[in-house]
Amino acid sequence: MEFRNYCAKINDMTARVRMAENGAQLVSRLEGRQSLRDIEPSIFPVDGGPGQGDVVEFHGSEGTGKTETLYHLITRCIMPVQSRGLEVAVVFVDTDYHFDMLRLVSVLEGRLAEDCKGGDGSENEPEERVRSCLGRLSVVHCNSSVQLLLTLHYLENTFSSQPSLGLLIIDSISSFYWVDRFNGGESTVCQEANLRKCAELLDRLRRNYGIVIFATTHAIMRNYGSDPGVSEVPGPSSSRRWRSADSVTDFDKPYLCRAWQRIVTHRMLFTKSHVSKDNKQVFSTACTSIMTKGVKRCSFHVMEDGIKFVCDK
Amino acid sequence: MVILREGICPGINEEFIKALQSEDIKTVEDFVSCNPEELAQKCSLSYKALVAVRRVLLAQYTAFPVSGADLYEELLSATAILSTGNPSLDKLLDSGLYTGEITELTGSPGSGKTQVCFSVAVNISHQLKQTVFYIDTKSGMCANRLLQMLQTKTPNMEEQMEALQKIKVFRVFDVFSLLACLQHLRSNDLQKASIGGGSVKALMVDSVSAVLSSMLGGKQNEGMSLLMQVAGELKMIAKDFNIAVLVTNHVTRDGNGHLKAGLGQSWSHVPRTRVLLQRVEDAETSSLRTATLTKSSRQACHLVEEFDLCHWSEEKRTSISGKRKLEERSKP
Repeated sequence: MEFRNYCAKINDMTARVRMAENGAQLVSRLEGRQSLRDIEPSIFPVDGGPGQGDVVEFHGSEGTGKTETLYHLITRCIMPVQSRGLEVAVVFVDTDYHFDMLRLVSVLEGRLAEDCKGGDGSENEPEERVRSCLGRLSVVHCNSSVQLLLTLHYLENTFSSQPSLGLLIIDSISSFYWVDRFNGGESTVCQEANLRKCAELLDRLRRNYGIVIFATTHAIMRNYGSDPGVSEVPGPSSSRRWRSADSVTDFDKPYLCRAWQRIVTHRMLFTKSHVSKDNKQVFSTACTSIMTKGVKRCSFHVMEDGIKFVCDK
Repeated sequence: MVILREGICPGINEEFIKALQSEDIKTVEDFVSCNPEELAQKCSLSYKALVAVRRVLLAQYTAFPVSGADLYEELLSATAILSTGNPSLDKLLDSGLYTGEITELTGSPGSGKTQVCFSVAVNISHQLKQTVFYIDTKSGMCANRLLQMLQTKTPNMEEQMEALQKIKVFRVFDVFSLLACLQHLRSNDLQKASIGGGSVKALMVDSVSAVLSSMLGGKQNEGMSLLMQVAGELKMIAKDFNIAVLVTNHVTRDGNGHLKAGLGQSWSHVPRTRVLLQRVEDAETSSLRTATLTKSSRQACHLVEEFDLCHWSEEKRTSISGKRKLEERSKP
């Protein structure tokens, strides 16, 4: 009798707490996060832009423009609505100290200047505008996969309490690949354990809070084992899903754990194209998604103040 | 992997750990990934205690987000650009070495990477009066050469000695001592330096491929993991202490026969800027070199500049002084 009362009391307590948690989730779901579907129609397929809960993987070797594209998308998110932005708060998780704030600010200033040319000149000074935009961005540095996992747990509170937070960027989610692989010893399960937990947590975050996730992965595995030390076959079924995009490059084999492959909804492959006539390097992207058929291709230059698209199809 | 031990945070005692171990939870990650309600029902621990411990552990081990505006303010006041002393190289690097970033010099043997490192170190210690940490893995450091360079800059003995004292040399010959050296710098010397007086503004590693390339290849993962750890240490030092890091690397040829930096794809993501040094073609014994910008986030790639290793601080020759230089070279 005593025991049953005790259990009932515990159940009540936990049930109340469970309800309170759901209450916060419910509120942020009802209020809805800002949709990011038309964040950049040039690179995403028609009607296939990133909706709530989508996970986009930016894949490419070094120097192919992934980080530049991220800066472009971040400025689009944090700019105010008057400058054709989305006013969405962004959390940027930087795992390899790659984030260049000065470059982001020069892209932001370029965009703000160009959007303000035709309009009102009596605005706040450009510095104020930049600062108010930057207030919508938070940056976190992680230096190990354990710290990444714990930080994502910590950020869960931030997501549930801030409904204006619509985008989580992880640059890059593959930086701890080699260190984890060595620390895990012989067993693949141990090697992938941390990344699998991160992927499961990200899955829960995107389903419960409807945030969009962008993650970059470095292309470090060759498709054909010409370099015996470096390339190992990480599980053939994971790569079959993405074979519809013709793998032009040697380096686009997916190698992260299966838990991550399962939650990715859009995959964007970045490559360096030709050099155009006026001596500018052209970069190209090929985007595939599980919702649309076919591949959306696009090319761009990297200029002083951000990326400029060359042509859309 | 952070193992749960008693005393790791207040509230964790031996029974707590034993109760968790019965549920197969041994590390902090496992603990944080579990739902505290379910855990309270399975073990005999109170829900409140579990939530409190979880909160403290998260506060101890996570990284905290910084607002973009604050980060920008901090960077504006802390970032510095260190001139290399050579106007052509400065033009290529967009006025010099930026603190908080890793810059890489690649080139085949004899292309002048170590000489460029010396010249930059001498310029920083003499002209800019800042301390330089120089990690030498190839035994290429030669104090006489540094003295020679300083003697062309100033005849004053005291100034020369002062500048030489600002260049601190560390000799390491394998990757484990390199990691130990970097970790030691990070936890002791750099902190002391930034509190004390003279500030360290540059760290050079000549060369990083000498210690890493012997560990790569084959089936072991240890080499790649060590490579990423070295990269992580260098980046942390660059960012946390606002230091410009300059590393040198060898070159290999890719599938099309073009020169590319060594150490593979994984290392190629690490430096922010990369410069390729080559000898000028028709002059075998001259000291002329070309520098090509092969990776940069600030300038268009494939810019080429020519410079002379022997005349470091001089401007790129115009047609008039070009004739003068030709005359000089034709002398015996």
